Amino acid sequence: MLQTPPPSPVSNGVELGSSLKSSSGQAFDRKKRLSFYNRSFKVICIASAIFVCLILFTILFFMGRTGILTFDTVSPFTFFFSSEWAPENDQYGAFIFIFGTFALTFLTMLISVPLSVIIAVFLAEMTPTWLKTMLRPVMDLLVGIPSVVYGFLGMTILIPLLRDLTGTSMGDGLLAAAIVLTIMVLPTISRITDDAIVAVPKKYRDASYALGSTRFQTIVRVVLPAAKSGIMYAVILGMGRAIGETMAVVMVIGNTPQLADELFKPTSVLTSNIVMQISNVPFDSSWNYALYMMGFLLLIISLVMIVLVRLIQRKGVKS
Amino acid sequence: MKSKFFKNIAFTAIALTVAFGSISMANIADAASKLSGKIVINGSSALLPLTLQAANEFKKLNPKVKISASAAGSVTGPQAVRKGIADIGACDWDASLDVPGFKKFDGQVANKVAVIPFAAVTNSNVKVANLSTKQLQDIFSGKVKNWKEVGGSDAEIVVVNRAFGSGTRVNFQMKALDGADFMTKGDNYKEVKSSGDMKTAIETTPNSIGYMDLVYVTSKMTALKINDIAPTEANVINGKYKVWSYGYYMTKGQPTGATKAFIEYVQSKAFQNGSLKKLKFIPISAMKN
Amino acid sequence: MSARGKISGKPPNPFASGRSLNHWSNRLFTLVVWVIGICTVLFICGLLFLILQKGLPKLEWSFLFGLPSEIEEGGGIGPTLFNSVYVLVISLVISIPLGMAAGIYLAEFAPDNKFIAFVRICVEGLASVPSIIFGLFGIAIFVEAFQIGLTILGGAVSLAFLNLPVLTRVTEEAIRAVPPEMKNASFALGGTHLQTIRRVLIPVALNSIITGICLVAGRAFGESAVIILTAGVTTSGEMWDFSLFSPGETLAVHLWYVQSEAIVPDATDIAEKAAAVLVFAVLLINVIFRVPLWLNSRKTRT
Repeated sequence: MLQTPPPSPVSNGVELGSSLKSSSGQAFDRKKRLSFYNRSFKVICIASAIFVCLILFTILFFMGRTGILTFDTVSPFTFFFSSEWAPENDQYGAFIFIFGTFALTFLTMLISVPLSVIIAVFLAEMTPTWLKTMLRPVMDLLVGIPSVVYGFLGMTILIPLLRDLTGTSMGDGLLAAAIVLTIMVLPTISRITDDAIVAVPKKYRDASYALGSTRFQTIVRVVLPAAKSGIMYAVILGMGRAIGETMAVVMVIGNTPQLADELFKPTSVLTSNIVMQISNVPFDSSWNYALYMMGFLLLIISLVMIVLVRLIQRKGVKS
Repeated sequence: MKSKFFKNIAFTAIALTVAFGSISMANIADAASKLSGKIVINGSSALLPLTLQAANEFKKLNPKVKISASAAGSVTGPQAVRKGIADIGACDWDASLDVPGFKKFDGQVANKVAVIPFAAVTNSNVKVANLSTKQLQDIFSGKVKNWKEVGGSDAEIVVVNRAFGSGTRVNFQMKALDGADFMTKGDNYKEVKSSGDMKTAIETTPNSIGYMDLVYVTSKMTALKINDIAPTEANVINGKYKVWSYGYYMTKGQPTGATKAFIEYVQSKAFQNGSLKKLKFIPISAMKN
Repeated sequence: MSARGKISGKPPNPFASGRSLNHWSNRLFTLVVWVIGICTVLFICGLLFLILQKGLPKLEWSFLFGLPSEIEEGGGIGPTLFNSVYVLVISLVISIPLGMAAGIYLAEFAPDNKFIAFVRICVEGLASVPSIIFGLFGIAIFVEAFQIGLTILGGAVSLAFLNLPVLTRVTEEAIRAVPPEMKNASFALGGTHLQTIRRVLIPVALNSIITGICLVAGRAFGESAVIILTAGVTTSGEMWDFSLFSPGETLAVHLWYVQSEAIVPDATDIAEKAAAVLVFAVLLINVIFRVPLWLNSRKTRT
């Protein structure tokens, strides 16, 4: 491969035209060159894909290597099932945070997925074109609002509102965090779902209408199932963001290591606990290792959730 | 077509980088100063405004010195110094000694740079203006849950705390609570991540109590008297108000070169009585002991 | 399917009742979607308005291009705004080619086997890694291993890592959504795989890919956790510093700093203005990326 002359960017751009004019000798070169391009392009693509995986593994290794040291001093059972988290007394039970992460993600998805899909349908199927071209960039804009701003608005507007509505004295907790997260993942999920719906070939819809279906039936029975892969991907991506979001969650969840058995009880999740404490932790302590272990756990949880969603999706396709 | 578009952008960016890079280099070279080097500062976020201001002024005097500062928590400072990834570790306590929760860092020198007073604060709807040390201990440990028990109206106390390990928390615990423990959970208890978050939480949560550097106290909250003494600069200087601490720059051994010059600049009269005072810290020279 | 079967199975007049029920549910559905759609739109506009109206009216050039101040009021955001753009450009220059290449591989070349399914899970897993972990990772690489300290380069590369998985997946989905007829037509005309990808698949999928890039760019522009840890909270203190090894506080980090630690009297003011500028900049990014696309589509239509 090294013997082949490196491709020049100029010939790259005009290869089609030049080949028509070229003599027979060059045509052979062209074939060779094209196959070289093809092969090297494929190699580049494979390399990139491997690189992306490599980053994940390096991060997993990096988190795991430090995290595993936790178990020198804390038994795995205590770490996973004890609800006592008090670094000042060397108690490292992460159960509350694990539970909190699951509860928060579930609650967020419960609110945001139906809402986002409806908004995507609204954007893709119902609005007139001029409104569409205006709304889509606006949705994208929401993604760009920094999470600190969301957190700040949550703290100064949402929480007082919740406090007034419910009469609790604080308002911090799972529900507040879930609402903020919903607003944050909404554009991600709905925009990608929107794209997936738009990508459904028009003939499907035509066929459905030709069979006498209403718009409702067409959308629910034809368009959404056809766009399922894209929607699933959107949900996974949104879920990933919900699991991994830190800066906004930390400002509204209350950060108290206690089990979230009510919607309005200050609690803590893996990310918020990591971000609260990582800056104040001595390097060579079980505390630090426990935080890294929690980070590692966070990765594993999101990976497991992704695998689960994929399995469910595959089952759905089969039946 | 698209790729060409991006390519062009990339080339332009690189060309600009080279062009402007050389110009800014030339600018730096013009101003003459013997001192050169790179100072990396990490650590306490409470000292960050001071560090940034000092770095700005210092860079004007010594253009060849590059200073980059970041901040996370107090303990990050001495740790980064020990790891060798920072020259100066800003810390809210003397990290060469043991404090509650943190072991001492051997071989590090603590350079005092400022005096930081702390204040216990409440939401402005709270009618209590004075608390004794005992009352503060009871409130922050969760024993007293209602404002009427300390002379206020009948309302549940919302305790806002900083996360364990925060320099402000370490100091408040040592100086205002005489080392008594904080509560760790409760229905009306939450922890916040930074001084700014504490400020927002106290301002917006009725019946809340928390604590912060005196600098951050605003008109939208009440700074409590502790044992009948108001948290003012004068009371700190005359020794009546005890809830304050020094801010430290930790270095590996005695500082040298640019690092030394920078710390000396921060400790100099000009900076201490000028910018540092404007930032509402108290100059170290003002303290008698 | 089952619902339709039930309806037509009703005894008296299956046709009429089915139609009216369909009609009714269709109406209801349309209504619900419209109401939720309009509410969301109003909500979003309200949110944006809230952020923009607090900040934009007070904006001045001196704020946009001035140097930040720690003590006196009237500090600007010049260097941080510049760093934001600079870091974003570098991270995109790194992540777009890599992410797109990986996405093209997954969509076009990858065999459909367990290993590739695993790779896909890896990519999605990476997308859900909390940004703070990328920050810690960035410290481990750039500050501890390479010893270059807190720099724009470190921040930009860490940010690129953060963006990679999303770009990869968006590209893959976009290319998969291209109708196979187009691909087959290109092959039938004698196009090689590379030519097909470059001339057919990418142009057709470009709209979705640009959406992905806009999402990623917006997220990167607003990202603070990674930058605090890898590029620091200082700037080099001057405008137009293109050195890759300067400390690189971005606008989002400055916003965080002003909100959480700054002592300046007009901190809230600065925070509001900075937030407005951030949102406005994201809008600008969207427009910049979309205008060529829009022009292109107009050209091809006529």
